[in-house]
Amino acid sequence: MRSSERSDGTGVAERVVDVERHIDATPDEVFTYLTDPEKYTLWKGQQAELDPRPGGLYRVRMGPDAVALGEYVEVEPPSRVVFTWGWEGSGDVPPGSTTVEITLHEDGEGTLIRLRHTGFPSEADADLHRAGWEMYLGRLVALATREDPGESQPLPGLSRP
Amino acid sequence: MQAVLDAISSPRRREILRLVWDGELSAGEIAARFDVSWPAVSQNLKVLRTAGLVRERREGTKRFYRADHVALGPVGAVLRQMWEQDLDALERAIRRDRRG
Repeated sequence: MRSSERSDGTGVAERVVDVERHIDATPDEVFTYLTDPEKYTLWKGQQAELDPRPGGLYRVRMGPDAVALGEYVEVEPPSRVVFTWGWEGSGDVPPGSTTVEITLHEDGEGTLIRLRHTGFPSEADADLHRAGWEMYLGRLVALATREDPGESQPLPGLSRP
Repeated sequence: MQAVLDAISSPRRREILRLVWDGELSAGEIAARFDVSWPAVSQNLKVLRTAGLVRERREGTKRFYRADHVALGPVGAVLRQMWEQDLDALERAIRRDRRG
């Protein structure tokens, strides 16, 4: 049984990330961006190894010093994918510690994509992941409407040219 | 004072301070400029905030940060020197890469 309050005094509700976007493409099209490594890196990450089946693992290089790791829990094309999420070497959000659920719903001629990310140790971590997902889903929306979303994040920092 | 020195001993935290020196940025914008994981950015922001070097402002679920120039006081001048050293080190690394 999980407590609804943790040491930082915030409730679970504040540590849930919910992001929702409309995409001008069918759920079938959008789903391929979630499971095909080549299409995946067009909107998120620089390199992706994906094994999209329940129990399959994925590993996505998000930046030179940032690797996201996890395991697919549910894969139901073209409407739903659930996977665990964490960062290699992170004590705060280690692999397996959080869960992402993405559902695709028909929305007129397009798709409503809903993302829910749960299990964060703090509100600050939830807020940062929310900002990250908002940015990445924005790129997915741009891609599906045939706009060039630009080079994949992160932008080069001073510490690494 | 020790917390302040510990906070600025990290090149990544010095870089965050440089980013929010003249203006406010959201945590997401700071994360987008870094190569490290989001939890690592969150952790570094926490250290800077605990040391009193950045101020956090909340707006809904968004967090914004800016350098606290008053709290930094004389450390500000030291920081500026360190940024120049960071840039010099970067320049040397680039030159070395080009030669190699």
